[in-house]
Amino acid sequence: MPAGDEPLVRVRGLRKEFDGTPALGGVDLDVARGELVVLLGLSGSGKSTLLRCLNGLHRPSGGEVTVAGTRVDRASARELRHLRTEVGFVFQQFNLVGRLTCLENVLIGGLGRVRGPRYGVSTYSRRMRAEAMAHIERVGLAAQAYQRADTLSGGQQQRVALARTLMQRPQLVLADEPVASLDPENAGTVMDLLVRVCAEEGLTVLCTLHQVDLALGWADRLVGLRQGEKVLDRPAAGLTRDEAMAIYRRVEPAAVAA
Amino acid sequence: MTAATQARPPGGASAPERPDDGAGRAPAPGRDPLRPPADGRRRALRWLAGGGVVLVLVASSAIGLDLPTLVAGGEDVANLLGRMVPPELSDPARIATLALDTVLMAFLGTVLATLLSVPLAFLAARTTTPHPAVAAAARGVITFCRAVPDLVFAVLFVRALGLGVLPGVLALALHSVGMLGKLFADAIEGADEGPREAVRAVGVGRVRELLNGVVPQVVPAWVSAFVYRVDINLRTSVVLGFVGAGGIGFALQDALRGLVYPKAMGIVLVILVLVAGMELLSMAIRRTLLAPKNPRYGRDRAVRLAVGGAAAVLLVVSFVRLDIDPLALVTSVPALLAVAGRTFPPDLTTLGPALWEALLQTLAIGLSATGIGVLLSLPLGLLAARTVAPHPLVYGAARTVILVVRAIPELVLAVVFVAAVGLGPVAGAVALGIGSIGFLGKLVADAVEEIPPGPAEAVRSVGGGWWKVLFAAVLPQGMPAIVGSGLYLLDVNIRTSTILGIVGAGGVGFLLFEAVRTLHFQVAGGIVLLVFVVVLLIERLSGWIRAQLS
Ligand SMILES: Nc1ncnc2c1ncn2[C@@H]1O[C@H](COP(=O)(O)OP(=O)(O)O)[C@@H](O)[C@H]1O
Ligand SMILES: [Mg+2]
Repeated sequence: MPAGDEPLVRVRGLRKEFDGTPALGGVDLDVARGELVVLLGLSGSGKSTLLRCLNGLHRPSGGEVTVAGTRVDRASARELRHLRTEVGFVFQQFNLVGRLTCLENVLIGGLGRVRGPRYGVSTYSRRMRAEAMAHIERVGLAAQAYQRADTLSGGQQQRVALARTLMQRPQLVLADEPVASLDPENAGTVMDLLVRVCAEEGLTVLCTLHQVDLALGWADRLVGLRQGEKVLDRPAAGLTRDEAMAIYRRVEPAAVAA
Repeated sequence: MTAATQARPPGGASAPERPDDGAGRAPAPGRDPLRPPADGRRRALRWLAGGGVVLVLVASSAIGLDLPTLVAGGEDVANLLGRMVPPELSDPARIATLALDTVLMAFLGTVLATLLSVPLAFLAARTTTPHPAVAAAARGVITFCRAVPDLVFAVLFVRALGLGVLPGVLALALHSVGMLGKLFADAIEGADEGPREAVRAVGVGRVRELLNGVVPQVVPAWVSAFVYRVDINLRTSVVLGFVGAGGIGFALQDALRGLVYPKAMGIVLVILVLVAGMELLSMAIRRTLLAPKNPRYGRDRAVRLAVGGAAAVLLVVSFVRLDIDPLALVTSVPALLAVAGRTFPPDLTTLGPALWEALLQTLAIGLSATGIGVLLSLPLGLLAARTVAPHPLVYGAARTVILVVRAIPELVLAVVFVAAVGLGPVAGAVALGIGSIGFLGKLVADAVEEIPPGPAEAVRSVGGGWWKVLFAAVLPQGMPAIVGSGLYLLDVNIRTSTILGIVGAGGVGFLLFEAVRTLHFQVAGGIVLLVFVVVLLIERLSGWIRAQLS
């Protein structure tokens, strides 16, 4: 495991309920700096909820969540905003502003670093524009920089979203099923890119995935969720495909008994 | 196969027949299997439709509108038109300046309305409001602005600020908030949450979350609403002069007062040109700015910059040319509030029964105008539908009539009819009814053109001719949309009929105008309150009926 005394993410007994219905029932999780952790689980098992509790897009109902030294569960709005500038979030549906160009979308990633309202490319400094361009080149879309985001293919859009995240200069990247909306070939390309740039930048990654094979190939560690409980947490090295697939079995004897 | 079941007489046409009974359900014993099974909602709608027709007839006879009057009125109007030709444009320089002022007033009023509407819309939209109570309050303000006609605001503001363009501009602005605020808020509610969440996840506060995550998504809808509203406000601003609030209406009223009909006709033609020009311009803007065929960054940006720059220049020109001190927009607020304050508490008793009679007359005018409008618009709208018109020439002619009528403000029509048939509600009802063609005729035509062609082909394939296709396929399918538009027309007509009194065409507007002229502000307040309540009730009722239909 990479060095670092304090884990970047430290979750203890995290609970989250939606209108009284539990989505997470006491989850513990540590993620060390530089680590790539993949979260597996059936849909509805609470993966997105867990990720969203880490950057405060959801408020935890109970438990402790510490990310990069900030207690997310009791952070003020201001502290939360500051924390979010350090945490990149990659969405399944990319969440680009379709009418804006790729460059404008990437620049949005830098908003947390500047003061005052910005609207349109010319309101950002030359330096920021150059940086955004560099990120777009890095994800291989230099030719599309001035194209509207909604004219791109899904794989290209997710690459723009990745460039937006890089523009944030985050320490931690949370990726919620980043390739679930893509065809297998694009999924492979985008995952490759994500893992490569995050490794190059030394970023910590917590990523939910459905493809067990992809997960075993890339992850340092696999974490499995089932009905809001952690049921697996092991280094990827030495884990067999069948052991990982067990998370996807519909019912576990213990769950029936409960 | 649906064609056969739909081929029944169009008597109950307002409730579209849907053959959803039949095979699946066995008819109850003892019931005539050839009649559709009883359906409470459909029966209620049929009663409602019948009641509506009766109400329109009662309303028409109450204001003395009948066939002989109409025929005689037609002759009077023909006479008047005869005296109006050849139109004459004396002092073209003055008319040109007034026309320019009118355009600038419409533009400036809409810009101010936009500035007011944007924050209101964010407060009113479910997805962005800080609190549901704030949203309700903001919606209330928006509804109030819509329910009080622009000319009513203008009458009050002229009292507060004196004759001139400023009260006119402010009246346009305030009333426009009623539409822009609502459309802006609807656009915000329709925006995708995803991008907004992505911006929030970057770590910015609320203002920038909305600016960078929501605004880019809603800009096209906002621009389109703005352009549409400039178009509407141009039509209104040509009549603001009637109440002393500036623009070309001054000159028109002068000409009519002095019975210089050819001159009046000249001005009406100028107005027609203005409105038609605006229509073309807004079409061009929609095409280039909002829906470019193949978006290209460099070109689109250039177009945006050019249009934005032109708008900025026009804004400066408006202030200079209309001689409005931008500060006056703020400094005039206390005077406006003072007048608004003097309307409190609203007085509903001083006028006695005259008030209620006038209010009933307003309703009657709105109802009969809608009746006339539907009678005229249905055939005209059908002929103006490309898919139904028997000949391209007919199509072209019908579309032209609709366009020309659309270009004439209702109040100008009312002035003409008052001049022809004399003061009173008949002039108002006929003017509104004919004016409705421009609105309802277009909606009917568009609705009919959008009908899928399948059923019409089915009727044709069993040997049906033009009439059969019309009654068996076109009308049943188009009816929900047409009824919906008709209800909206009623809504609009009742609102307009509250101001017809300003030109002597009947209704509660005359009392309102008199109350303000004689400084009885509390009486005016009472009338505004009544108008507000009536408009609100009509809006709710037609909203309910439309919901039942869909
Ligand atoms: N915003 C929400 N409101 C109410 N219930 C939610 C919300 N988000 C998630 N849930 C519920 O929480 C549970 C976990 O959902 P989620 O975290 O999205 O699972 P996953 O991402 O693993 O598919 C599900 O039962 C889901 O219905
Ligand atoms: Mg999910």
